[in-house]
Amino acid sequence: MLGKGGKRKFDEHEDGLEGKVVSPTDGPSKVSYTLQRQTIFNISLMKLYNHRPLTEPSLQKTVLINNMLRRIQEELKQEGSLRPMFMAASQPADPLSDNFREAQPAFSHLASPPLLPADLVSTMPLESCLTPASLLEDDTFCTSPAVQHDGPTKPPPPALQAVKDSFSSALDEIEELCPAPTSAEAVAAESAADDSKAQPSESNIHKPEGLPESRTAEPKLMDPLPGNFEITASTGFLTDLTLDDILFADIDTSMYDFDPCTSATGAASKMAPVSADELLKTLAPYSSQPVTPNQPFKMDLTELDHIMEVLVGS
Amino acid sequence: FLGAGGGNDIQWCFSQVKGAVDDDVAEADIISTVEFNHSGELLATGDKGGRVVIFQQEQENKTQSHSRGEYNVYSTFQSHEPEFDYLKSLEIEEKINKIRWLPQKNAAQFLLSTNDKTIKLWKISERDKRPEGYNLKEEDGRYRDPTTVTTLRVPVFRPMDLMVEASPRRIFANAHTYHINSISINSDYETYLSADDLRINLWHLEITDRSFNIVDIKPANMEELTEVITAAEFHPNSCSTFVYSSSKGTIRLCDMRASALCDRHSKLFEEPEDPSNRSFFSEIISSISDVKFSHSGRYMMTRDYLSVKIWDLNMENRPVETYQVHEYLRSKLCSLYENDCIFDKFECCWNGSDRQVEFLSLFASALSNIVMTGSYNNFFRMFDRNTKRDITLEASRENNKPRTVLKPRKVCASGKRKKDEISVDSLDFNKKILHTAWHPKENIIAVATTNNLYIFQDKMN
Repeated sequence: MLGKGGKRKFDEHEDGLEGKVVSPTDGPSKVSYTLQRQTIFNISLMKLYNHRPLTEPSLQKTVLINNMLRRIQEELKQEGSLRPMFMAASQPADPLSDNFREAQPAFSHLASPPLLPADLVSTMPLESCLTPASLLEDDTFCTSPAVQHDGPTKPPPPALQAVKDSFSSALDEIEELCPAPTSAEAVAAESAADDSKAQPSESNIHKPEGLPESRTAEPKLMDPLPGNFEITASTGFLTDLTLDDILFADIDTSMYDFDPCTSATGAASKMAPVSADELLKTLAPYSSQPVTPNQPFKMDLTELDHIMEVLVGS
Repeated sequence: FLGAGGGNDIQWCFSQVKGAVDDDVAEADIISTVEFNHSGELLATGDKGGRVVIFQQEQENKTQSHSRGEYNVYSTFQSHEPEFDYLKSLEIEEKINKIRWLPQKNAAQFLLSTNDKTIKLWKISERDKRPEGYNLKEEDGRYRDPTTVTTLRVPVFRPMDLMVEASPRRIFANAHTYHINSISINSDYETYLSADDLRINLWHLEITDRSFNIVDIKPANMEELTEVITAAEFHPNSCSTFVYSSSKGTIRLCDMRASALCDRHSKLFEEPEDPSNRSFFSEIISSISDVKFSHSGRYMMTRDYLSVKIWDLNMENRPVETYQVHEYLRSKLCSLYENDCIFDKFECCWNGSDRQVEFLSLFASALSNIVMTGSYNNFFRMFDRNTKRDITLEASRENNKPRTVLKPRKVCASGKRKKDEISVDSLDFNKKILHTAWHPKENIIAVATTNNLYIFQDKMN
């Protein structure tokens, strides 16, 4: 098969990031190792499950990619057992597992294409979570908090520290403004977790791993979200990581634009980020009081409902 | 004498290029295999469209002592057609994965060609005479009215324009569940092996309805599969010995006399991993894409993604020599994984040899001493085992002046790029040379780019 690589111009100061051994125990390079591992994991998943050839896929390629995924998963499991805060996935739902059993890794060569994870769990589209491999070769990737991108790919937060800061601050702001959505999302997450807990399964689950592995270090940020999450011994491929999907499934991803103005409506609705100006405009006809520009977010739940109606109706 | 080392480094010159000129490559024209026959007079290519094209070398023109004969098209035929597997709802590609020539026994030539599932034995024969003067038939074939025949004559052969015909003599089908990656003819010239991802079968050239399974690495539970067969070859002299390589970088040597099913190897060749080079991609780049015995059978060569290794059959724990093909790609492995280039299967080949001389062990060091393999950007590499020198050349239409020596190329891995060097970032990963072949007796090489076949020869003085 022809490679899709073409001529590319790289920075002169490219980092040997991907080729060299980056030990997971190094301090600042632990992030890059983790990120690198996550990216490779994502790419591997994409290769296995987004590829629908007319002819049988190469067994050698499939085996090598599977081995890669297994190795990464083993590593994650080992790291998980060392970290008390690490919350492994609750077990996936049965109907999911049945479907996946049939659509097992391409070894069986059965015609039915594996169910795309997107079919089963609504999550961020894969593409928006992938880090193009070229970024790993970019020296600036790990250090700069704001990553410039062309193309549709949305970067996951580049560095663990940066994520925590902006995420927690965004969370704080949202909690401050609209406490209701936060608990709503907590309830949603909890019920999702409970559902999955109730239906154990041991089959492999193939989920889109759209979120950087660094999020597993964010359990501390999840303190506002109540719920008991079982740590399970996963026998499947990716069960360790389904927790993230369940938790974040309904969260408005606009949070990660680091723009508190856009997340005002929280998880209750998945819609395009709304700027403060737009909100003001919509509020004006409904509000008995004039909303001053410097107090755009002092609204209560009823006004929030109004906004919802307006936006959903438009 | 063939590249005898020392000051006699070969100087390669462009000779010919075959194939379409446009940059727009038709998928069917992608060359998938290249192979000289045992005399070197014929050069066969297979393509993705299932066709085989055979070139024949012109008889050397005694007046033109500057160059050896040119290769011209001798025969073209459709070897395999696309098929549909109804059970799995998948197409079976017609792409020719390998061609292997049989040694010539009579006037006709025979070759084996294979796609993913079916191997075919083709007979290529010439017809340059035809019978004329039949009594009951007209020249155009119509039957004559017997009552008009008044005299009898004996039909005679008269010369005609040369016609080369290819006809399928044997079809070896339905023996492989997985994709065939190798075929290798035994030194007994009666049997051959075919290898797919998980199994190797032994065939007799005369028998098409059955084969013997000699290697089976399929696990009971396919979910436990972590390793596949990537290449296999018979030993050139020992008809019971063969090797097969794996996706984990191992080579197993098996002896068919040991048992019917050679699941237990006689020797296992594996180099321990270099811990300083460990990365996520260590396993993938260790996967062996080609294995070739040396002419004497004492050594074998393997190709993995970044290197060529020479193994002594008497030493299993590490190769005797390792040559880096494009080490500068080591820092790009993630991108190469993303765009699938890391799965490219490069082949490798030994230089030709004069078999008679080979038996004189005095000259052993001068033989099987150069190895050749392809790379990206239409570059190919040669390593001289004696001098330890290597060279990078390019297959490009820009160098197409016959008898002009090819200029060596250099890739600048890092730091300041010198003039005439090309930086790693400028390499075109779509232009890959996967298939190369060396004439069995002379210094003529065939190098396949995506859809063109280049022929180079050494500068004759």
